[in-house]
Amino acid sequence: MNFSSLHLRSLVGAASLAALLLTLPQALAYVDDALSFAYEAANPYSQRGWIIREDAWGGDLGKGEKEAVTAQLFRGNQYIFFLATDEDTTAIRVSIYDNKGNLTDAKSWQSGRFAYAEIKPRATGTYHAIIEVISSAEERSGWALVYGFKKD
Amino acid sequence: MPLIISCTRLAVGTCSIRSFLCFILPSPQVKFRLIVILRFICTIFISALAVPALAESPPQKIDLSQFPADTIDRVIVPVPSEVFGVLDQLGNPNWQSELGPARTYPASPNRAQVALLLGTIIADGFVAVEAEDAERVKKIGRNVLTLAEAINVRKSVVTRSNSIIEKANARQWNAVRREFDGALQDVHQAMVELDDEQLAQLVSLGGWLRGTEVLTSIIDEKYSQDRAELLYQPLLIDYFNQQINQMSARLRGNPLVEEIQESLQRIGPLIKKSPADNISSETVTEINSLSAKIVGLIRARAG
Repeated sequence: MNFSSLHLRSLVGAASLAALLLTLPQALAYVDDALSFAYEAANPYSQRGWIIREDAWGGDLGKGEKEAVTAQLFRGNQYIFFLATDEDTTAIRVSIYDNKGNLTDAKSWQSGRFAYAEIKPRATGTYHAIIEVISSAEERSGWALVYGFKKD
Repeated sequence: MPLIISCTRLAVGTCSIRSFLCFILPSPQVKFRLIVILRFICTIFISALAVPALAESPPQKIDLSQFPADTIDRVIVPVPSEVFGVLDQLGNPNWQSELGPARTYPASPNRAQVALLLGTIIADGFVAVEAEDAERVKKIGRNVLTLAEAINVRKSVVTRSNSIIEKANARQWNAVRREFDGALQDVHQAMVELDDEQLAQLVSLGGWLRGTEVLTSIIDEKYSQDRAELLYQPLLIDYFNQQINQMSARLRGNPLVEEIQESLQRIGPLIKKSPADNISSETVTEINSLSAKIVGLIRARAG
């Protein structure tokens, strides 16, 4: 290996690292923004007796893509899921399915950058919150999900 | 379609009012009121048409296999109060008798043991909240801080610990529940930042084991199928097993972690019984003795 190829590799390496360092905070930032919005959506519910969990899940999705967050839910509780996106041109949805992939009777609705799903599980077990981007002007949209629960 | 277009134009005010309705209306005042009402009705009509068009209903059935199971961080691990609240509805558990030993646990040099112990102590905090035992909650809040220090995450939980003590003094039990949940998340986040995510998983595991011990003890006291159904947690058993399998060889080789893995393999088939109401009284007793044994081992190694 001569000096120039080593030098070139170092330059490429440094450029890749710089690119990573430049894009990583942006990637994290949009999930952070979405998370702030998700907590904003949840906030009024904590004043209505819901216990809002501090744990949260997030990522990014393109239009038409879906992602699953799996949860152990207990019969006897009510649960509410708050989904938010950092993009104001993006419409999102969260739907709750049981462990066989059947849509539950959860009530779900959307409002601007927010989507909600509220469920009273008929049985204790595994459920799936399916997150999807319905429409968006953006290539990808950051999302964050938080949830709360209260006694039925 | 022409009706929709006419309504849209009228609602947004782009159609000539004269050309649409004026010739049948008796006076300008009545005309104005009617137009306002008509615009309002048209707006509602268009909104009702537009919303379903914008978002089709989700499918009635999906193929869950299209979502890869390797995304193990996409699993919601419940906090003990989620299940404790349901138990409250199904009877009147004696939470006081479920409180763990009143001692404060010191930290040992074994970080895996400290992480597991921290999880059990936080779960004890949730039990103390159910028992509304402010003194015990405060003691646990201080113990959380001692153990957090041993695994280098003290700074992240100082505020939580103080808040737990303050809110226990004020007997704001829902707020204390939130603070214990927050302490779990803070510890987890701090460990991830320290590149210690596997230790963070042990905190969750310790909490689940202690929560399961308490849950089975209460169900055992007064068995019913409704209560036993709360034990049906196949997702969590698979989740914790998968996490242990993905741990470093050093951590997996820790005698305590080995014991836990062995116990999980025995608890798994008992908890996965389907339908959920197949979990018998004998099964509950068996799960209780397995989880209690592990929690006992975690505590015994505290030094």
